[in-house]
This record gives sequence, C-alpha cells and structure tokens, in this order.
Amino acid sequence: MSREALYESLSAVMDDEADEMELHRVLAATKDDAELRAAWSRYQLARAVMHRDLLEPRLDIAAGVSAALAAEAMPKARIFSWGFVGRITVAASVTVAVLAGVRLYNQSEMSDAELAQRAPQPSLSAPQVQGTPILAGYTEGVEQSQEPSSKDMGKDSEWHEKRLPTYLRQHVQQSSVNGAESALPYARAASLENR
Amino acid sequence: MRFFSLLLLVGSMAMSVQAADAQNWLSRLLKAEQRQSFQGVFVYERNGSFSTHAIWHQAGQNDGESRERLLRLDGAPVEVMRVDGRLKCGSSAVADQLIEGEGPWPPRPLDPQKLAEWYEIRMVGESRVAGRSAVVLTILPRDQYRYGFELHLDRETSLPLKSLLLNEKGQLLERLQFTQLDTSTPLTKDKLEPGPACQPVEVLQTSTPKQGAWRSEWLPPGFTLRSMHTQPSPVSGENITYLMYGDGLARFSVFIEPLHSALVEDARSQLGPTVVVSKRISTADGDMMVTVIGEVPLGTAERIVLSIRASEEQADR
Repeated sequence: MSREALYESLSAVMDDEADEMELHRVLAATKDDAELRAAWSRYQLARAVMHRDLLEPRLDIAAGVSAALAAEAMPKARIFSWGFVGRITVAASVTVAVLAGVRLYNQSEMSDAELAQRAPQPSLSAPQVQGTPILAGYTEGVEQSQEPSSKDMGKDSEWHEKRLPTYLRQHVQQSSVNGAESALPYARAASLENR
Repeated sequence: MRFFSLLLLVGSMAMSVQAADAQNWLSRLLKAEQRQSFQGVFVYERNGSFSTHAIWHQAGQNDGESRERLLRLDGAPVEVMRVDGRLKCGSSAVADQLIEGEGPWPPRPLDPQKLAEWYEIRMVGESRVAGRSAVVLTILPRDQYRYGFELHLDRETSLPLKSLLLNEKGQLLERLQFTQLDTSTPLTKDKLEPGPACQPVEVLQTSTPKQGAWRSEWLPPGFTLRSMHTQPSPVSGENITYLMYGDGLARFSVFIEPLHSALVEDARSQLGPTVVVSKRISTADGDMMVTVIGEVPLGTAERIVLSIRASEEQADR
C-alpha cells in the first residue's frame, strides 16, 4: 500500500470515518513505522491546537487502540440492558476507545445529548476487563490482564446495575441538601421514580 | 482612531453595566425565594422523563418559620416538606439515601460574585412564562468543564419561572418550567401540611474519613469539596467513600467502592443532564471502582475519574 493511502487511512481514523479494515491497516503499519506513529501524534496535536486544548503529545493512541482490539477479539458481544438508567456503554470498543481518548482532551467530538439520544448499540458493549485501553501511555500505564472465563462475565454488569441506581439517588438527594435552589434537585430526584 | 477607542470604551462600559444588571437580577432571585410566598405548578423534563409538580412556598416573615412543600402530581406521589430549609419529611424517592445535611459543610447560598468567575452572566431579553412577563438571563460557562443555564425570572417577583440546562452545543438537557404561578393569594394551612407520602427522614449512618484519604489530582477550576463521608453500601455492605464537589451551581459526586477481586468492567452512561462514569483503579489496598456522577459534561467526568488518587498515607498502611 502506498504511503499516501496509508496517510489517508490515518486521517480517516482521526476523523472517525475509517472502516475496520482501514483501522487494522493503520494499526499494523504503525507497529513498525515510527514515522507514521509520529504523524499520528502530530495529527492529534494539531487537532488539539485547533481546539485550543491541552494535549499530552506522548499519548500513544496506537497502543491504546491495539489494546482495545485485543480486548474486543473476544467472540461474545453481550447486549447490556439496564432498565433503570436506560443505557450504559462499556468503554471497550475501538470506536469508544478512540473517541474517549480524544474526548479526554477536547470534548467537542460528540455531545452528551447525542450520546444520550443514540439508540442502544449492542456492538459497543464488547466486554473488557481491567486496564482501559484509552489509558495507554497515560500516567498509569497499561494493565493488560488475561481475559476472564465466560462464567464470570455475567457478574460485572450486575455489579453496576445494582449500585448505580443507589449512587444516582444519593447524588441527586445530596444535591438537594447541599444546594441553595430547592425545586430543581427535588425534581431530578422525583423524576427517577418512574415506574 | 481616537473615536474608535472611545467607541470601544463606551461599548465595554455598556457591557459591564449590562453584566451588573444581570448580576442584580440573580441577587434578587436569591432574595425572592426568602421573601416571597407563592404557589404554583411546574413541569420537569429531561431525556426519557416528563413529570408535573406542585409547589407551595411560605416565606418566613415576621419570625414565622418558612415552609415549603413539593408534590409530584403524576404517577406515584413523591413529596418533600422543608421547614426553615431543613428537610422535615420526604418520600423514599427523594430522601432514602440522605446523609447528614448539616455538619462541616452547610449548604452554601448562590454567590453571584463568585459565580461570575466561572460563568458569564448576561441579560439576553424578555419572555413570557406561565402568563407572566419574564426577564431572560444566560449563565454560560467560561470553560468547557460545565454546562450553561438559561433562566427566565418573573419580572414582578424575580422568582425563577423557567430554568434550562444547556450543553456546549446549546442543546437542551433538562427543563423546569412553571405553567402556573400565584404570588398574591395567601396560602391555606392545609396546603402546607405534609401528605401521607411524606415520611420522616432517616439519615444514613456515616463516618468522616481521614482528611485527605482520597483526593482528586485535577478538578475543574472553581469546584471545591462540599461534603465527604464513608458509609456502608446498602447493596454490598462495603464501606463506600463519598465525596461531593461543587462550583456554586453545578455539582458532582464521587463514589469509591472496594472491588476486591471482582471482575467488573468500566462503565459510562448518561441520564438526561446527569452523567455516570465508572473506572477501576489500583491502590495499595486493592482495586477500587471509582464512580463520578454529576451534572457536568462527559469529558469533565472522565477526567475527574482518572484523577482520583488514594493518599500516600493510605497506600502505606
């Protein structure tokens, strides 16, 4: 593949327009192409500057995405339903990893409202264990752990399902005690009681 | 050239006059809720939820106590009653997860001066809400770490008639809007008495963790710690550390729960204006799940969740 095509793919990845083939191609190429890796970092930087945002230039996006891909290689994609809060996204898929890595520094990519309005996408809920890929190169470093046996996989979503409603209630209720305004936090808390 | 700079000067003076005017309205809003009795009906709307509520508010004048009663009008009745600002009773939906409201972190009233450091407060026009003429203020964030508000204040009493929470693209995240407001009819006593849905409030047993046991290496400018507790989880019995931060308008909570060896994924979710981000972190005491919940942009919550650290002291233990 020509360099131009490679850079074009890279730019597509940056714009979140790359298909899976392109993404794999770019990732494979960055493995032993320091120049391409540097270009990727430069693109990130340029983008951050355009958004006048801080960026850690050493952030190694490629490693993060590779880790995400490794995690996603697991065959089963579970559909996650959490009736209470409606929708939960597990930060594991490549798209999310790339988006999250970028959004960390500038958040104009996808508005929260859009995120909230989008229909649930089962493809986004590929299971993944500790060591968030977006953290690659971030201060904490990567922690790649082996994949858990499929037996254990059911438990973790349950963990959040059980706790988040309680957390959420506590947050809105505590807001109404700590806040000066009364009607708004009350209404937020009361609106959780829907069924 | 001189004319031009004069024009600039006049322009900036006009701007600051306008800003001062907007701040005045905000100050009047704060006083209005203390001095003005009212009753009304409002709607609350966010993604996936629409509800209607009644409010009866008796200002505490002539050394009488202030009383406020809120009641959800549709679905299961949800009710809250406050006397002199203190929660007297509440339905489980609004009061079953409360930890002490007093203590070292008393509620802080809105401070328009301080707020102006993080938000630009402007008067942007006039409107009409609940049949009353209103003044429109925008409270827009000066950075990307918080959301903006649009407030419609009653021209006559300065009470808030409509409050919109907006994200950075100006999209509506939630709406609280009066459909009816009465500021002249005296409130009858029975309206200020709690109904059967209002149960006495039991606060959760908590203890105060060691100062600085947990901290956030990064906070959005202006956010400070408002509350900090540890309490056993009603779900797992584990000791959960709870921190709440605020900038005077927006708030977020941080929950830290020990995971031991449980395999749990990181998670994120959005409920109307409220974002939830959970992330596993490693400490000397084992892995913890840190969850940030608040009315802040997703990017802010993500950055906070990555910044939570156990203190050195704790790590040495």
